[in-house]
Amino acid sequence: MRLANPNIPEDVRAVAADGTQLRYKLMELSNQYPDAIALGRGDPDLATPQPIIEAAKAALRDGKAGLTPVAGLPELREAVAAKLRAENGLAAERDNIIITTGGQEGLYLIMQALLDPGDEVLVPDPRYTSYDEAIASAGGSMILVPTTHEDAFNLQPDAVEAAITPKTKALLMISPSNPTGGIITEDRARALAEIAIRRNLIVISDEIYEKFLYDGWKHFSIGSLPGMAERTITLNGFSKSYAMTGFRVGYIAGPIDVIRAMSRVKAVTTGPAASLSQWAALAAQTGDQSPIVEFHRIYDERRRLMMTGLREIGLDYSDPRGAFFLWTNSSPTGIHATELSYLLLKEGRVLIFPGNAFGENWGGYLRISVLQSGDLLREALERMKPIIDRYRVESQV
Amino acid sequence: MSAPQQLSRPLSARVASLPDPPDPMARQGAAETSKTVIQAAFEALDAGRTHYTDRPGILPLREKAVAEIGRRCGLELSADEATITCGATEARFVAIKKLVKPGQKILCAGSGAAVQGPAALIGAALTDDPNAEGIALIYLNSADPADRVEACAGAAISRESIWLIWDMSPDAGSAFHPAHLHPSLAERTITIGAVGDAHRGWRVGWLAGSKAANALRAYKQSITICTPSISQWAAMGIADPASEE
Repeated sequence: MRLANPNIPEDVRAVAADGTQLRYKLMELSNQYPDAIALGRGDPDLATPQPIIEAAKAALRDGKAGLTPVAGLPELREAVAAKLRAENGLAAERDNIIITTGGQEGLYLIMQALLDPGDEVLVPDPRYTSYDEAIASAGGSMILVPTTHEDAFNLQPDAVEAAITPKTKALLMISPSNPTGGIITEDRARALAEIAIRRNLIVISDEIYEKFLYDGWKHFSIGSLPGMAERTITLNGFSKSYAMTGFRVGYIAGPIDVIRAMSRVKAVTTGPAASLSQWAALAAQTGDQSPIVEFHRIYDERRRLMMTGLREIGLDYSDPRGAFFLWTNSSPTGIHATELSYLLLKEGRVLIFPGNAFGENWGGYLRISVLQSGDLLREALERMKPIIDRYRVESQV
Repeated sequence: MSAPQQLSRPLSARVASLPDPPDPMARQGAAETSKTVIQAAFEALDAGRTHYTDRPGILPLREKAVAEIGRRCGLELSADEATITCGATEARFVAIKKLVKPGQKILCAGSGAAVQGPAALIGAALTDDPNAEGIALIYLNSADPADRVEACAGAAISRESIWLIWDMSPDAGSAFHPAHLHPSLAERTITIGAVGDAHRGWRVGWLAGSKAANALRAYKQSITICTPSISQWAAMGIADPASEE
């Protein structure tokens, strides 16, 4: 889809090809509009559960703010390993875990520890563009594997197999997916595991949104399959599950040698995660899990509200099986998603990220997050409708 | 099923050059947190400041950082030129990664211990010779001998492609800045600081200044998005972040 609108500011146009910068530019622009409804960033609007806050305070009172080991608090590493054994079926002990400064740093460490210049990583398209940066920073190359609306953006084993070259070192699996909300179903994961073993690939399994699947879909960890433990690096964290993005705590599980390698990288790049954040994460992991159940109920309710609203304004979306997003087909408007996002922000005061912020092939999509109250989501839909209608008419689609 | 020991394929060559982190020493940093920091952290927790902050870091802390640089070094910077990082460690790494290419050299006025790891990770070499070929960056810190700092910084005056890091984190008392030697060094110098040893567990540092400020900020974002929110607000409780020890 063509980017033609001459009214888009030059500073937006200048970053349109860089997904990460484009998202930040739109967020920056939205700051000019105090009444803007933010359906962009994947930051839960819900409050961090109070027991986590209280645990952080208790840690402070107890003088636990000192520097921790680079790989993380031993207590937290133990708790994460126990969680992965119990919930995900992974064979994990404390030494298989490193605590990171959020999931994004986890990606960075994985690529630094794994890739030499020229190594290729298979990445589903569309994707969160932080993967691009982490791979490029390690000198690796990203090979896109297409996923489709018709297939609910599930990862197709045949497409993966077709993309493998002698340089392929790893396959990135993201389930549930940011931005599509698609998941990799268990049958596909089993088929992909067979390929990974046969073609000797490392699997990087990003499971950050594992707690938020809907309509009966179940999360499945590929690292639990026979023969996969020694070739799977699992990435997860606390930000999304517990609405605590600002604490910046994530974790990686994998074979001990790669965890040690990542510790060496972490020591010279960022150092250990913040102590207080780790104590808060420990409370999240070991405490009452009912807040996640409530978060799930709320997100599902909002997701349904937004699905209904989008249908009413004539926009289609892929089956949102997980995460916080509706990956919405905006091509009926006839204009490029960057233009549409800009107009929705400028005229409608609704911040939505264009699909091409998640890959250059996706200028006909929008990523709409549901991280606002039901009232605000309804208001956002009302603001969007006349703009969508106008451009649909103007483009005669 | 037993816990996996070894990945089925070799790790990257770059990690072989890195030493294991000194974990047995790590907890020695657990000094007592000051009451004002605890109070600031409590207030942030109660106010629900538990979500992402702006990418560069919270504005009041950036203002505090540049004010401190101004007070100590007489250098005027705006908060827009400052980025809050996860300690001085991340600030140093971000600057080195963005300004030095593999095979290039970093000139160090002192031992360069703080930059050995980042240099090894990106495939750069350290040198103590100001006349060496291939120098891309000069690393100076406030604990280095003053005569060596001046000699090394002086090497950048006539070589305009060379960048400088002025790392104030080791010694809070220094009032020096490379820009004092020659005004042209101001826009090529990245000034780095961090909260003092007593608060290292909070992981708060900053990098400020230079015409590369925006590129450095973007790269920091690509690694950790933002520095932990509560840590940033807690650092507001430190009376004098750079001089507090």
